[in-house]
Amino acid sequence: MICCKECIDLLCDYFEGTLDPDTAASLEDHFKDCPPCVSFLETYRQTSDLCRKTLTPVEIPEPVQIKLRDFVKNHIQSR
Amino acid sequence: MPTQEEKAQDEMLVRDMKAGQMEAFDKIFELYQRKIYALAFNMTRNQMDAQDVTQEVLLTIYRKIDTFQGKSAFSSWVYRITLNATYMKLRTKKKEQYVSLDEGLPNFNHAGFQNEKVSDWSKSTDSLLFSNETKGIIEKAVELLPEKEKVVFILRDVEGLSTEKVGDILDLTIPAVKSRLHRARLFLRKKLSNYFDEYQTRSSKK
Ligand SMILES: [Zn+2]
Repeated sequence: MICCKECIDLLCDYFEGTLDPDTAASLEDHFKDCPPCVSFLETYRQTSDLCRKTLTPVEIPEPVQIKLRDFVKNHIQSR
Repeated sequence: MPTQEEKAQDEMLVRDMKAGQMEAFDKIFELYQRKIYALAFNMTRNQMDAQDVTQEVLLTIYRKIDTFQGKSAFSSWVYRITLNATYMKLRTKKKEQYVSLDEGLPNFNHAGFQNEKVSDWSKSTDSLLFSNETKGIIEKAVELLPEKEKVVFILRDVEGLSTEKVGDILDLTIPAVKSRLHRARLFLRKKLSNYFDEYQTRSSKK
């Protein structure tokens, strides 16, 4: 059985789906018997989701949009 | 990942712009301003800086379009220019913070097995997700990441680009992208775990 440390090292590849089938299977075997790793895996995945939901979408605030349009008009289009 | 059509459209716009058509630049401006601003904002967390960076990038696209040779995708080129301008901006004000990313790993025993309980907060984040406190914690944690890990995390997990695309933009191998991404996620996971554990203790005392 592979140990927890090895499992955690492989998590990124596991989620990318780039592990070879044997390694992926031994990872899943480990998860069946190891609740701490399952918790780790769930929170690892949730970390990315949570950060994305919190930090996106970034919209350009209206005043900045106006400034950018002015900038383009004055510095680029007028050439 | 840009679709085939997006790529074809970019190539056409670049050709038109090189031929001096101003409408092509206007179109590029419309297509890219949000992407440029979002990346700059997530890297600097500062509206004024993100605005400066966006202006600079627009100017660079306009002035340097002739030097763009199409070896990589136009979008990768724009992201690279954006990051360079962002780094310049950060350099003028940043005192480099040193954080150890090692703290992202759990405790293992000598055989490499976890020897303490890992709390699973992944199902209980809904009510917290949109609270300002959670948002603040996440923003601060991302800001603490060293630049190398931060940029990979933002491009890959926040902006949602593919691992290959991030490698193309940063000129890194796929394994290098993954290892930085993994370190960033471990660090952030740990920060979030500390926060949710503390939050649960706080609310159980009420
Ligand atoms: Zn385990």
